[in-house]
Amino acid sequence: MNIYLPIAEMSVNAALLLGMGWAIGFLSGMFGVGGGFLLTPLLIFMGVPTAVAVGTGSMQILASSVSGAIAQYQRRNVDIKLGVVLVAGGIVGSVVGVSLMKILRQMGQFELFVSLCYVTFLGAVGALMMIESVGAMRKTQAGQPSSRKTGQHNWVHGLPFKMRFQRSKLYISAVPPAMIGAFVGFMAAIMGVGGGFVMVPALIYLLRVPTSVVIGTSLFQIVFVMAATTMLQAMENKAVDIVLALILIVGGVVGAQFGAAAGARLKGEQLRFLLAGLVLLVCMRIGWDLMVTPTEIFSIGPTIGG
Amino acid sequence: MRKKVLCLLASLLVIPAVAIAQGIDASPSDDPAPTVEADVSTRTLEVTTGFTGHEIVVFGAIDNSRAPIGDNHYYDVVVVVEGTPFPLVVRRKSDVGGVWINTSSVTFASVPSYYAIASTRPIEEIAGPPVLERHAIGFRHIKMTPGPSYKGTLKDYELAAFREAVIRLKKKQKLYVTEPKDGVTFVGRSLFRASIPLPANVPVGPLVARTYLFRDGQVASAHIARVTLHRAGIERLVHNFAFVYPASYGIIAVLLAVAAGLAASAYFRRQPG
Repeated sequence: MNIYLPIAEMSVNAALLLGMGWAIGFLSGMFGVGGGFLLTPLLIFMGVPTAVAVGTGSMQILASSVSGAIAQYQRRNVDIKLGVVLVAGGIVGSVVGVSLMKILRQMGQFELFVSLCYVTFLGAVGALMMIESVGAMRKTQAGQPSSRKTGQHNWVHGLPFKMRFQRSKLYISAVPPAMIGAFVGFMAAIMGVGGGFVMVPALIYLLRVPTSVVIGTSLFQIVFVMAATTMLQAMENKAVDIVLALILIVGGVVGAQFGAAAGARLKGEQLRFLLAGLVLLVCMRIGWDLMVTPTEIFSIGPTIGG
Repeated sequence: MRKKVLCLLASLLVIPAVAIAQGIDASPSDDPAPTVEADVSTRTLEVTTGFTGHEIVVFGAIDNSRAPIGDNHYYDVVVVVEGTPFPLVVRRKSDVGGVWINTSSVTFASVPSYYAIASTRPIEEIAGPPVLERHAIGFRHIKMTPGPSYKGTLKDYELAAFREAVIRLKKKQKLYVTEPKDGVTFVGRSLFRASIPLPANVPVGPLVARTYLFRDGQVASAHIARVTLHRAGIERLVHNFAFVYPASYGIIAVLLAVAAGLAASAYFRRQPG
């Protein structure tokens, strides 16, 4: 059955979209990631305009993160104070991202910029994750428990505007979390991702936030920043397709249930290894499209008001 | 704003009519001149959520036909269905240090969003380029001029490449369609019909169906019919809402996403496993 998407202005098979939502949901449930970095490129490959893919991605991520965020909040795994600082930064980043997106669309360079962002971030995160997970698997084979140094001080602790974040047992400057939030918000707006894959390592390795509150606080930030980004994308770029998002959400929540069950059977480092492989594959696919000589060097599009 | 739109609409309606009127060659004989009349099977089309394209039939008749009985090739008929013109940006990529980047662009002030042509014979056989050009018949003669921002930095052949790219890409999107042979078929001596496929992605707006009657390489008569193509149902509601009230649309998108997320998790919590 074909369905006409009102904002993407194209007719697509509804069953195909549901299946795609399911597959993305399955992978995100399995790996415990938002899945935006898979969904947005997939929508673009399908022919959805890049801006609509990115804007609609924000709405889908909001839906898939909200229940997780509430569950984490109920288990008291959210550092609200740290979360608010991250959200404040995140909204600033999102505003900058959405505005930059509008300018780049007028210049005709938005697609390129998105692709470059994807190649850079997915390449870096994928490679780091791959190295880390291979190392962890070796250690497990050798029988050593994996350990993480805690309580170490670094340059982060020398900055002003110090705040006490009780739940995270931290007394640090508000500047780094605000910067991290802003960076993730910017990425979220431009790439149509939640940004958990940058946020979580940043909180753990840069701020030394205890792992118990990292996921919850990250989800807290994602929910609010995605809500703001969805609003901004709708207002500035008219790039949120509610019909497309709802179909993906329905497919996604079902897929996530199966994915979570499948993920429970694998070890953490095995999951991270598989996820790293997936991330690198997406990265290479997008990179390939940038480098390979296109069969059609021309493209047409509507003029974007300005 | 409204005034501007009205002006634009008025100019859209008047220009083709004037062009057609000027293009018709007066018949020297005393007999009543042959005229063509045509209409479209569907006057109003609704683009709904389930819209997967539609085929319209342009049909018509030749009055005062001088064609000898049994000669179905005496006249030629060309049917052109054109969509609302829109500004369009064409971008060209080039290889910059191994990465393909959009490096040049041309904005055409108005390009028909849709263009279908059907004819009894290939149009080159029917009439010469000046006639086709005057009536904008055929892909090569679609009116397409660079917008005011165009600085004239490209050479003629480069500009032609951009024009050809528009036609090629629009053809690929099935928005420029051609039926060069037997696209228009005669049913008997003076009745004819042409089916025009509208794809699912056809941009909404008024469509103008122009029917030309050709004899000896000249336009003997012409007729204009219109089809309106508008959004309807949920699809129209969503689209209009998104563009007219973007802030409210954004709020609804957020609330829907939150509600969907919560409903899903509530549902799956009840189902163990």
